[in-house]
Amino acid sequence: MKKLQLKKHALTAISYMLPLVVTAGLLIAIGNLTDGSVISDYKAPYSIPDALVSLGVLGMGLIAPVMAAGVSYSIADRPGIAPGLFMGLIANSIGAGFLGGMLGGYLVGYFINWLKASIKVPKWAEGLMPMMIVPMVSTTVIGLLMFFVLGVPIVWLSDWLTSTLRGLQGGSSFIFGAVMGGMAAFDFGGPVNKVASLFADGLLLEGVLGPEACKICASMIPPFGVTLAWIINKKKYTKQEADNIKIAFPMGICMITEGVIPIAANDPIRVIGACTAGGALGGALIMLMGVGSPVPSGGMFIVPAMDNPVGFLIALGAGTVLTAAILVITKKVPVETPIVDEEEEELDFSEVVITG
Amino acid sequence: MKIVGIAACTSGIAHTYIAKEKLLRAAESLGHEIHVETQGTIGTEDELQLDDIKNADVVIIAADIKVGGKERFKGKKIVEVPTHVVIKSPKGLINKIQQDLGL
Repeated sequence: MKKLQLKKHALTAISYMLPLVVTAGLLIAIGNLTDGSVISDYKAPYSIPDALVSLGVLGMGLIAPVMAAGVSYSIADRPGIAPGLFMGLIANSIGAGFLGGMLGGYLVGYFINWLKASIKVPKWAEGLMPMMIVPMVSTTVIGLLMFFVLGVPIVWLSDWLTSTLRGLQGGSSFIFGAVMGGMAAFDFGGPVNKVASLFADGLLLEGVLGPEACKICASMIPPFGVTLAWIINKKKYTKQEADNIKIAFPMGICMITEGVIPIAANDPIRVIGACTAGGALGGALIMLMGVGSPVPSGGMFIVPAMDNPVGFLIALGAGTVLTAAILVITKKVPVETPIVDEEEEELDFSEVVITG
Repeated sequence: MKIVGIAACTSGIAHTYIAKEKLLRAAESLGHEIHVETQGTIGTEDELQLDDIKNADVVIIAADIKVGGKERFKGKKIVEVPTHVVIKSPKGLINKIQQDLGL
């Protein structure tokens, strides 16, 4: 299984999808805030805000195709792109969402690799391989498979997930929110955060808005919490850390958590622990208070577009205070300025292989 | 050793560049020559020069995602790791490679 690098393919797709989601989300947010709505009749007059919302919604429709094409490209290189886009479109049409898109991307990507390796054509037909044979055969075979076989359980799974999350009440929603929030805050935009993020984005497409709000809240808590802890007790931070915090805070307002990385790298256990705890509390409160966000990204600027924005601010505040409190209590006054080249962790390199 | 490398992470705005810095610092402090290309969301930066690739003893690809332009490394020794490996232990990795290659 490890050889297949399933995770790498998913991360590649996510990396191509991120700018798309952020742009689409912000377009919807700006359009909504300026009183736009989705254009239903393009022959009738419409306003700029209407156009922005509509563009954002169109962009959201590209998520499954781009995910599928990204996965398939990662597996099969360039020939994977066109068939992958098709698989994403199928996923959209049968209601299998981004999960269906990803699955379609994996299947079509491996199928293309198999085709490339096994079909031998005469010299004169070699040009037809990438242009016609590979995309046509792979799209048809895996496409039909998606329509008639795989679509069924995926739609079932999507529906089950959506209705379960919609039905979450009280304690279970509290725990769900805590897990979402904790994951989103855990590694500051790293793979764990991306899993939570992907999950929330997928549910957003199904009209479940709570997880998205958890994610946004928990992504902002680490920079805010670290900043608050620094304001409360500046002595516990080195000059370098303070400089990093001054950059991390404005990034946090825009929901970019990555600014906390240099601070966490200096003192991983305390910072990650405090941020995860704060994120979990924030996420739990979001679910408990029924906060939802129709937009996947944008930080403070999209708070007015949320369901229950006051609840969002309360959750954000509570998580921030918890993160800051843990840091203020546990952080030690630095003995000396830490050198840039900090100590290395012991890693097991036995799986690192040199090829070629 | 002469090293060339590529760094690329999922979001393409943070870990990519941290990984590059870590590799550069570690290699230089161990007395190796190194060039690292980043493939972030903004696109390829500090693209590797053909001469550097030709002279390199090893190619280190520190990436969580698929990187582009691997065909440039045909016939080269290649080591592929996730970005967290070079972020956590860049010197350890370089030393291990040096040992394995017997250079």
